[in-house]
Amino acid sequence: MFISKWKEALICLKAGRVTLPYPFVPRPTAEGFRGQPEVDGRRCIGCGECATVCPPRLITLVDDGDSRALKVDYSRCTYCARCADVCPEKAIRLGNNYELATSQKEDLTMTVNLKMANCSLCGKPFAPERLLRKTGEKLTGGEFGQEAPEWLSWCPECRKTKQAKALGGVEAKDHV
Amino acid sequence: MLKLIFIAVINLAVTLALAPLLDGFMRRIKAVVHSRQGPPLLQTYYDLFKLFGKEDMEGAGGVIFRLAPVVCLGSVLLAALFTPMGGPAPLGFGGDLFLLVYLLSIPGIAIMLGAMSCGSPYAMLGASREMMLVLTVEPILLITLFTAGIKADSLVLADLSGWTLTHGWSISAVIAGLALFLSLQSELAKLPFDIAEAETEIMEGPFVEYSGPKLALFKWALYAKMVIYISLFLEVFLPWPKTGILAADLLSNLVKVFIVIGLVELIELVNPRLRIDQALNYFKGVAVLALVGLAFALMGL
Amino acid sequence: MTREELTRKLTEHLGKALPAMSTAGNMLLVKIKAEDLPTLAGYVFNQLGARLITTVGTDRTPLTGNYEVSYLFSFDRADLFLSLKVEIDPANPVIESVTPVIPGADWAEREVRDLIGVVPKNHPDPRRLVLADDWPEELYPLRKDFPYDYKPPQATVAGPRMKKAPEQATVMTVGPFFPTLEEPAYFRLFVEGERIVGSDYRGFYSHRGIEKLADTVLDYNKITFLAERICGICGFVHSCCYCQAVEAAAEIEVPARAKYIRTIMLELERLHSHLLWLGLAGHIIGFDTVLMQSWRIREQLMWLTEQITGNRKTYGMNLVGGVRRDIPEKLQPKIKEVLAKVESESRQVVEAIAGDTTLLMRLQNVGYLSAADARSFCVVGPTARASGVDIDSRRDHPYAAYPDLQFTVPVYNEGDTWARTLVRLDELFVSIDLVRQALGRLPGGPIMAENTEVPPEREGLAVVEAPRGECCHYVLTGTDRPERWRVRASTYPQLQAAPSMFANQTVADAPIIIGSIDPCFSCTERMETVDVESGKLRVYTREELLKAGRAGCKGGDSRA
Repeated sequence: MFISKWKEALICLKAGRVTLPYPFVPRPTAEGFRGQPEVDGRRCIGCGECATVCPPRLITLVDDGDSRALKVDYSRCTYCARCADVCPEKAIRLGNNYELATSQKEDLTMTVNLKMANCSLCGKPFAPERLLRKTGEKLTGGEFGQEAPEWLSWCPECRKTKQAKALGGVEAKDHV
Repeated sequence: MLKLIFIAVINLAVTLALAPLLDGFMRRIKAVVHSRQGPPLLQTYYDLFKLFGKEDMEGAGGVIFRLAPVVCLGSVLLAALFTPMGGPAPLGFGGDLFLLVYLLSIPGIAIMLGAMSCGSPYAMLGASREMMLVLTVEPILLITLFTAGIKADSLVLADLSGWTLTHGWSISAVIAGLALFLSLQSELAKLPFDIAEAETEIMEGPFVEYSGPKLALFKWALYAKMVIYISLFLEVFLPWPKTGILAADLLSNLVKVFIVIGLVELIELVNPRLRIDQALNYFKGVAVLALVGLAFALMGL
Repeated sequence: MTREELTRKLTEHLGKALPAMSTAGNMLLVKIKAEDLPTLAGYVFNQLGARLITTVGTDRTPLTGNYEVSYLFSFDRADLFLSLKVEIDPANPVIESVTPVIPGADWAEREVRDLIGVVPKNHPDPRRLVLADDWPEELYPLRKDFPYDYKPPQATVAGPRMKKAPEQATVMTVGPFFPTLEEPAYFRLFVEGERIVGSDYRGFYSHRGIEKLADTVLDYNKITFLAERICGICGFVHSCCYCQAVEAAAEIEVPARAKYIRTIMLELERLHSHLLWLGLAGHIIGFDTVLMQSWRIREQLMWLTEQITGNRKTYGMNLVGGVRRDIPEKLQPKIKEVLAKVESESRQVVEAIAGDTTLLMRLQNVGYLSAADARSFCVVGPTARASGVDIDSRRDHPYAAYPDLQFTVPVYNEGDTWARTLVRLDELFVSIDLVRQALGRLPGGPIMAENTEVPPEREGLAVVEAPRGECCHYVLTGTDRPERWRVRASTYPQLQAAPSMFANQTVADAPIIIGSIDPCFSCTERMETVDVESGKLRVYTREELLKAGRAGCKGGDSRA
């Protein structure tokens, strides 16, 4: 019994002091750590892929006239990094910051505003300019030739109408 | 007379002002064994300060509930005046041994009464555990001191100390001292015998309804009690070294108190909390040991 | 026992042909008539020695017009599951209770009643289990016509219906908030002096309806992450178990490397969980040195998993069809190094406490659970193995890489808290060995299946041995998302056995008895930590909180 007690008391000799003087000295994170999500607004093309995969559904796309807002409310973030995985432009990454406590909930939100492009046929805003430009870049050089295809600047409705017309059908009713 | 007043002031100062330091010292030892940084040495002072700064809630009980912490600390301070802490006891007189034992049982009773007045089932259970412990452990204190008294043929604490100094240890004194040391852990409400409080079982038991300054008074009283019990144990059974120079004696007593409290903390660190029935069984054993010591003393050994 | 044998025996016992039968993986699905359920369930449980896993209630009214209740059994030594499925007419939603025959069915049947509205007739304890006390009657959240975001009106007064204490006994409450319970749970102990003469339990305070969320809003891969957050300790078990259930239903072949990575993560999780438990157990009985030292050892594992997965706990590794992150070659020496350190340091702690007589005094002969009780409450994991019930889903229903690995399953017969401790301590070293084996044999290749399409109307059942015992996920697939997802955490059966462990113990033992089953209330109750956006956010000021707290103090029953 006393040997046991003795051993228990002496475990600390080998172990030493292990707790850190946190928060006075910050603790570095491991490589690939999933901390505070960071959105690079300059790279975001507003495709919304992140919004579709986000498990807590905290990324939302709000279209308002000629601008699209990508809203991130990471007070509900679960740091799964699915958004970073699927982002085609690598505009989202999960950074190293894990000290997110705040008394202002607004500190934990982020909005990226993107300018919308207008449909070259009907003039309605339908997709972020950057998204179209990126898509155009990807499409050029291949089967589409050096120029981005013309239909890229048409909104989905106009595309449908055009297609219907090309197929010899009647004009879609809902499109004015 | 002046010297006695001086000693009285010293005793009160040591019990009141130094007691939280003892707790801080225990917490440092605890941190080392736990492999962690631990709080600053003065943390207990900060804690008390913080508690005193909190709002004084009326709480669940009535007058008894409010008075219990004051009575508790008051009786401990009074006891400090009867306890020799290096120098002679400021208020020593014939038969003061019994008075001291009485005084030392008042804190426990105050805690019990305060707990019962608030009506929480946790406090009730804590109070009943406290009662059982007091009833088993206080007699051991009495028997061991009485054993020393028989040898010294006096019931004045100063004589007990003096006799040990001049005659050294007798068989009965060794046995009685051992018995007292074995029950010290419970007197100080330390593991494995902090059964009455048992944070993880009954949420600090008797103190469950206390908060703020009242809780601070209780805590302070318990820290102060540690100084008194340990000084008493040291004076009666381990009075060396005594130089006769007051300052040196006071200092040596303090050093010894810190050593004993370190031991107590180490025992606390390597034990889980016992159940009340297991603890009572243990103390029955210690009581028998104390009685053996008494028997030896009666036989003149 | 083979599938054919089981079918023959069931038919023989029933005396007539089974109405409908099919198989899904290693699960035999038998559709039976409601009146045959008690006799068949009793036969399967008592004569054939099967263990009831749980029951699943599903609202199939849009498709078949009926409710369905499945009783899921496991034949542990045969790697065979049996699902006895009963169709119930919504006009008369009553089913004969099997709890009198199988005590372990108690909660499961009450849960089906609460969530689907199928009433178990002659149930010995028909009180509400899952739903809040102020939830309106006749409102069943898992029915398909119930909107997931519906909020019933707030009730004014509601308290749990608790059992009456026996005469002369005082009521000691442990919970709903208690220092040693990290989560809300409400035990009422009826005590005479220090001795416990009876107990009652009210839980499910953390029930947040994630199963509803899964079959209305989320999709297959989102649920993986929701499942991971069911538990803060064994989250990977849940996400892995969910993925395996979907993979079983959709017959997705997971690449070997992904299976091995899952195994490694599962065992690392068991290691940290057991060390965490050891510390907590020490803390409960006041032994903080054990707490600090075992958590110190555990911390190295947390840092290791942070390096492997990017997070110390919620690993986020799983997706349906495989895993997201590989374990790179350069990390392997690091893993081995940490394992070696954890092994030697755990050994040191185990050796120190093994001979500690005061510790043994607190743990031996405390919270005894007999093998018979363990079986009748369908207890799983270390709690079962400490009572001599030799079950371990890693061996009995092999999944991931376990079929390729060699390991022993520690079993003790004492049935007390100390035996449960020993099982976990032994398992520490088994797990370390398993991680080493898996690392040594880690195959190459992809970590994600190519085709992860999930066809609708398939059933899948998966079990994973969580640190606390077998965890079970059941999935009935639908379009884009499951039609029904049912989670049965390992604490679910263990908690039902708690009253029999309390028998003749003292109040002082109650916390360590509860602790000894390593309870995880949020798992059991399927909590979601992130609320669905309500749109409204109420912020309480300090004064309001103080006021509310004090009103509670004065009106509370502290004097009662």
